[in-house]
Amino acid sequence: MNKTEVLIIGGGPCGLAAAVGAAKTGAHVVVLERDERLGGILTQCIHNGFGLHLFNEELTGPEYAERWKEKVAEFSNITTITGAFCTSIERAGDKWVVTASSSGGLIEVEARSVILALGCRERPAGSIFLNGERPAGVFSAGCAQKLINIEGKKVGNRAVILGSGDIGLIMARRLICEGSEVVGIYEIMPQSGGLARNITQCVQDFGIPLHLNTTITRVVGKKRVEGVFIAPVDEKLRPKYELEKFIPCDTLLLSVGLQPENEIAKNLGLEFNNITNSYVVDEYYQTSEAGLFCAGNVLHVNDLVDNVSAEGERAGECAGLYAKNKLKYAKKIEITHDDHIKYTAPKYIYDDKNGTAKISFRVNKNYKRTIIRALSAGKEISKRPSPAVTAGEMQTLFIDKTKILNDLHLEIEVME
Amino acid sequence: MQEYKVAIIGGGIVGACLFSDLTRKGVSCVLLEAASDVSNGSTKANSGIVHAGYDPEPNTLKARFNIRGNQLYPAMCARLKVDILQCGTLVVTDEENRNGLNELYERGLENGVQGLRIIEREELHTMEPNLAEHISCGLFAPTGAVISPYLTCIALCEEGVINGGEVKLNFMVDKIEKNEEKYQIFAGKDSVLAEYVVNCAGVGANTINALVGAPEVPMKYVKGEYLLLDKSQNGFVNRPIFPLPTKMGKGILALPTLHGNIMLGPTAIPCEPHDTATTEAGIATIKEKVELSVKTPNYKKVIKLFAGVRVISGDDFVIEKMEDSHFFYTAGICSPGLTAAPAISEYLVEKLQEDGLEFEPHEFVQRKPYVCTEKMNKKELKELIKNNPTYGKIVCRCEKISEGEILEALASPLKPTDVDAIKRRVRPTMGRCQGGFCLPKVLKIIATYHGITLDDVQLNGENSQILIKE
Repeated sequence: MNKTEVLIIGGGPCGLAAAVGAAKTGAHVVVLERDERLGGILTQCIHNGFGLHLFNEELTGPEYAERWKEKVAEFSNITTITGAFCTSIERAGDKWVVTASSSGGLIEVEARSVILALGCRERPAGSIFLNGERPAGVFSAGCAQKLINIEGKKVGNRAVILGSGDIGLIMARRLICEGSEVVGIYEIMPQSGGLARNITQCVQDFGIPLHLNTTITRVVGKKRVEGVFIAPVDEKLRPKYELEKFIPCDTLLLSVGLQPENEIAKNLGLEFNNITNSYVVDEYYQTSEAGLFCAGNVLHVNDLVDNVSAEGERAGECAGLYAKNKLKYAKKIEITHDDHIKYTAPKYIYDDKNGTAKISFRVNKNYKRTIIRALSAGKEISKRPSPAVTAGEMQTLFIDKTKILNDLHLEIEVME
Repeated sequence: MQEYKVAIIGGGIVGACLFSDLTRKGVSCVLLEAASDVSNGSTKANSGIVHAGYDPEPNTLKARFNIRGNQLYPAMCARLKVDILQCGTLVVTDEENRNGLNELYERGLENGVQGLRIIEREELHTMEPNLAEHISCGLFAPTGAVISPYLTCIALCEEGVINGGEVKLNFMVDKIEKNEEKYQIFAGKDSVLAEYVVNCAGVGANTINALVGAPEVPMKYVKGEYLLLDKSQNGFVNRPIFPLPTKMGKGILALPTLHGNIMLGPTAIPCEPHDTATTEAGIATIKEKVELSVKTPNYKKVIKLFAGVRVISGDDFVIEKMEDSHFFYTAGICSPGLTAAPAISEYLVEKLQEDGLEFEPHEFVQRKPYVCTEKMNKKELKELIKNNPTYGKIVCRCEKISEGEILEALASPLKPTDVDAIKRRVRPTMGRCQGGFCLPKVLKIIATYHGITLDDVQLNGENSQILIKE
């Protein structure tokens, strides 16, 4: 059995940054990546816009991944193994044993710390109860992205896109660039779930119609997609069938949400959050099991890769310290929040009166003007006036931990 | 021109059972299937239950073949090396309808169902913790079981092929000529000769009957829609849970699939012959009616909607021989058709024999099951990967399927070519991402194996290209 101090499952933007974070503590690190190359989903994201926050540059996905691969290569205490698909994580005393399948055989690694950095997956048609037939030509947006960008293939001549998450918006532009027609993007919600910059750069700049409050009611086509029926929805998101309209097309791309890909740890009894559909972590990105860490999109779906890597790097650092018995704990405080906030990550911080805690959260809908407040012992300890907060963009708050007294509550005052 | 003793038209479960039975008896036999794979009609989209036999009216073909089929399944699955989940089935109801349950029990006894037992509230809710609160009694049928209908059908066809039979896919029968003592069966320019023809065409039964002037069977087409839930919901129910049946059918059930998913359905909606579209109304019906028996399922975990069409011809199965001919036809093989299929086949074999068909028994060749790396222990897996590294390379992350397993399916006796055909055999694209991740990889493996380009690969039959050819 191979032994290491920190084992990272996933070699994408989170896992690579986690490797760097852990290696900096001096720990020996092993990264297991299921694909044949490192980089995760970034390898197929050939558009730019990555790295603005971390590198102050607009990089493409592969370039951004390359930056992290270069950093990883600087550390002799990091071993990366590609083509290794993890099949199980098991507790073994105060250590973990991770098993992975590869064409070279089964790989078994014993580690003090394990970091889940498995990213997320796209929701399929069934998960949104998309009715109608099941012909060829229905793709998740990321799948179409891979077929176009990696395999160099054309997925359709005339496409409709359901959902306006970032991948859907980016793929709308991509399809146009590849000579396909994009009839329109249909979004059931009153606002797009994508980043403002993607709506401008991918949709508006290319003249692609974005229909809000509209959904696809059924797919038509025996063999290949022949079209879809669309209908506006009422305030309860129910389609108004009397206004149903047929849109001929040969391709349907789905960008209807992402889900953390965390099933590998489902039998470990970790504390779970039904909103993020994933595990709950403390400020060290540690789950309810000591030594098991979780960060990036497998923890909660992020909109910016920079944030994924930042979380990964911090989780890596903490996992490294844990492996060396240097991770310091203090009284555990649960972060509470009002109903405008859907969840916070982390959920717990330690009352060590030391440094700052970074707290990420999402709001339940779009607000034009708000004040975001952090309270402790009933007193305001942090305040951030925001011109606008949207459900599609993750919010971040830095809390000065010296001001915390026993509890931490986040609330949003809606001005407009 | 190829000549056979028997031509079976239709590669659903009935045709497949007959194909397997005849080939094992050494009869030269061809199975003609219009689609690009067998098990592509009603067989692939049904509940996959081997019914115990309490449901059909006594003294019907349905009752007789249900009971007999149920008896035949365990040995048949063992012979085919396909799984069968001997979990029993439960019909549940509330105090108000206890009489209905008793009637069902009596009917079961009359039909000859073994081991039937009425179970009371406490035991019932221990067996099935997710039953609805109002459920107070249930009829447990220990001989009820769950199978994979498509995999069983495929295995039967594979067994037939390795025992000397032939399967012709994409063979859409459009003309049948009777020349002297033989039938010439055409699919476009292609044709085969056979002395006996058995029509097992399911939804297409009347089309085939018309080609030889056999009577038109009254047929109603009924759509059954289903919801499939992710494997994380495994354990929601431990066996098929039925509400008390009504004249409209067996109702909406909740059941575990052989692979550990949870399935809800089917609806029963009159439809056109090939209408397999799911509908908003149908899904709403499932959600409403399933709660007659169980607690609210976790609909966030739905991964797939699908529908199948069953054919109903009056109150009973139609299994007939056309007068003064060697043409046999089956029609209206609706529920419990899957269960009855081995018995229907047994009956047809008898009838064929009475009609002069002779058997030439030969040494039986057993079918090899597909390797399933997920079910192997570490030691077995290490050995397997050492001998063939492709079994270590995971392609489908949700179902944990290796490249080796997909290659094995591609090389299997029916030589499947389509993505869905591979899915039905070894499950890539069947999991919670529904192919979002593995589809490009599966396309590549299929294309490489067959020496074609990615854009030649079809999803399910002709004209279902996944990519646009440039």
